[in-house]
Amino acid sequence: MAELGRFALLLGLFLSGYAILADLLGTWRKDNSLLDSARNATIACLGCLTVAVAGLLVLLVQSDFSVTYVAGNTSKALPLAYKLSALWAGAAGSLLLWLWLQVGFVAAAFCRTPPEQRGFGARARAIANLVSVYFLMVMVIDKNPFDVSVVAPADGAGLNPLLQHPAMVLHPPTLFIGYAAFAIPFAWAIASIKQDAGQGPGPMFRQARNWILWAWLFLTAGIVLGAWWAYEELGWGGYWAWDPVENSSLLPWLTATALLHSCRTYKARTPTAVWMIVLSLLTFSLCIFGTFLTRYGLVSSVHAFGEPGLGILFIVLLVHIWFIAAILALYKRSCYRPTESASVGRGMRFIIYNNWLMIILTFVIFVGTLFPFLSGLFTEQKITLKPEYFSKITAPGGLLLLLLLGVCPYLLRFGMNFSQRSIGAALVIIAAGCAGFITGRYPIPCFIICGFVLLNLVADVAGYEMKLAEGRKKGVSTSRNLRWYGSRIVHFGVLLVFVGIAGSGGYGTEIQKVLQPGQAFTLGNFKIVYDVLKADHGPNFTAATANMSVYKASELIANLKPARAVYTAGGKAVSEVDIHRTLAGDLYLALTDLDSSSKLINLRILIKPLINWIWIGSTVMILGTVLVLTSYHRRKVISGD
Amino acid sequence: MKTRTIVKTLIGVVVIGGGVGYFMYQAMQSSWSYYYSVDEFSDHHSEVKDASIRIAGRVKPGTVARDLQKMQLNFILSGSKSTVPVSYKGTVPDNFTEDIEVVVEGSLDTTGLFRADRLMTKCESKYKAKVK
Repeated sequence: MAELGRFALLLGLFLSGYAILADLLGTWRKDNSLLDSARNATIACLGCLTVAVAGLLVLLVQSDFSVTYVAGNTSKALPLAYKLSALWAGAAGSLLLWLWLQVGFVAAAFCRTPPEQRGFGARARAIANLVSVYFLMVMVIDKNPFDVSVVAPADGAGLNPLLQHPAMVLHPPTLFIGYAAFAIPFAWAIASIKQDAGQGPGPMFRQARNWILWAWLFLTAGIVLGAWWAYEELGWGGYWAWDPVENSSLLPWLTATALLHSCRTYKARTPTAVWMIVLSLLTFSLCIFGTFLTRYGLVSSVHAFGEPGLGILFIVLLVHIWFIAAILALYKRSCYRPTESASVGRGMRFIIYNNWLMIILTFVIFVGTLFPFLSGLFTEQKITLKPEYFSKITAPGGLLLLLLLGVCPYLLRFGMNFSQRSIGAALVIIAAGCAGFITGRYPIPCFIICGFVLLNLVADVAGYEMKLAEGRKKGVSTSRNLRWYGSRIVHFGVLLVFVGIAGSGGYGTEIQKVLQPGQAFTLGNFKIVYDVLKADHGPNFTAATANMSVYKASELIANLKPARAVYTAGGKAVSEVDIHRTLAGDLYLALTDLDSSSKLINLRILIKPLINWIWIGSTVMILGTVLVLTSYHRRKVISGD
Repeated sequence: MKTRTIVKTLIGVVVIGGGVGYFMYQAMQSSWSYYYSVDEFSDHHSEVKDASIRIAGRVKPGTVARDLQKMQLNFILSGSKSTVPVSYKGTVPDNFTEDIEVVVEGSLDTTGLFRADRLMTKCESKYKAKVK
């Protein structure tokens, strides 16, 4: 099976290399049979990768520990679901999964092109296959999931107990779907550099827009899943630590969000066309760069050790991509001189402000993440930045974004007009500025701006509904524009997330206590009593559960049972936090240490106001995006475009 | 391009670039932290008094002592040729155990004890699923 996998990867490498040549030669000589051949080669490459993925899954299920990857990421005792999820538990497997998804998406997007778009599809396919070639080279030479060891170990190393959690099973593949799907707008963008100007957004553009939305949806869901897991499982009470690995998923998210907004005003030959191309390139490059950054230890992360290897191929790939884009752009630069007629509308202008803000935030986070590496270039002394660096910059940046979300005038068609909005925005800036100056912190300004955004959203929806009702009175049959509603819902979700971040970050309290059974303490409105410690001795671990009673106004509201298990082998501990959840906030208890003979415990208690609104808001954002997507697909059915 | 547009663009770039640069500089200054391995730290520690420092090293087996009453964790961080005693106050990450790589952040006190206020475990190589 391992031989088959290795062979499939090699064949895939050959096929995607062949597809590039056939596509280039075919477009040059205008030979359709060559283009067809390239298309078939791409589909065959997908077949090879499917065989490889299936092969690796079989090896994982069979627990064939002669394969290094299987031995490194699973063990005999592991439940089947976790054995399967080990496909993306290691570097080699996750690269394979990413590439398989990516080639699948490319086959779906660029192998069924209508005849008049053949040349465009071929160019896009060629660039996508170029990426495949690099990925396959890394896999075949350096990170081959099918490498076998001479002596097979009796049992595998297993999966870290911390990772045995549903959110952790879903989080990586969700991100990979997002990363892989960004290859489509990326290939579209490179191909469209060479597209002759003067055309409107072609059918390929609509397709690219849909892929951007899908990719953004999955990337968002992946990031939120990771944050939620950190909060539920890690016991430190936070959800985001500005670690390089986390940042490397946030960076493409920021540029992707800008990209998403640029789609709205896309027209060939306008500045937005350039924005779309640059942002698509940036987003996909950041996806790849993030992988390189964390897999190959350019910056050491808390999450993993980098392993030196052929990771440099990823950087070569990035240089290659940008070089191609630059050459094409120079060659076709006349297309991008904005024509006189394409004036920059107000809506577009605000989208460009939004883009710049996103780019600046991306840049700032990028520099902060790479700081240990960058500082090493100039001095011998390595310097790192604490997480405070990121929060200090992203807080005002995030508030500016939130404000833009309130004033953004493309919503103007309904509700308030532009001058009302700008007066409102000016008042809000003054109020938020004063509040920020007096308190010296961000939460209150954030709530003020949130209120303003909410007002705008309500005015928009009310105005829209009134217009609809008016139309119906006149006998015009109008149906609701679900895309419009969907994007309002996404914005509402963003608002809720901001409320959650400001509440939990600005008003959270945290204390640590040393407690004996029977002891009590008060925190905020809560009175917490440590009743009893229940110890449990298993074959290879000692577990202890502290029974805590929580009173509010002398009324028992919850029994919380934070627990901790210490494994005798290696002394590894796993703590189970217990949380009393309400919409107003969480009471979060983590048992950080205990002495089973004296029943003395160390308890960490956090109050996290409004934190659940982060998860609720994220869910609302995802649902809103799904609504937008269904409206796209519905329209496709009705109008057939 | 007209001269006016160029001037306007330049002013915009300078103002925004300056603002962003200033913000970044401010934020960096207050979150600056020197990063050493244990061996480097032993060679340089006289130069970095009072500064915030991160040290990466391995938890020496048999030296981990927890003090539940003070909620303190004491251990010795070892490099290839030297060691640093560390006292950490705070939540101990779940995957902290003996003989693993950790990063501590804090500063050296006058007695030569490193007082850490942040403890980060670098997870062993199989902790890979979080890596993208």
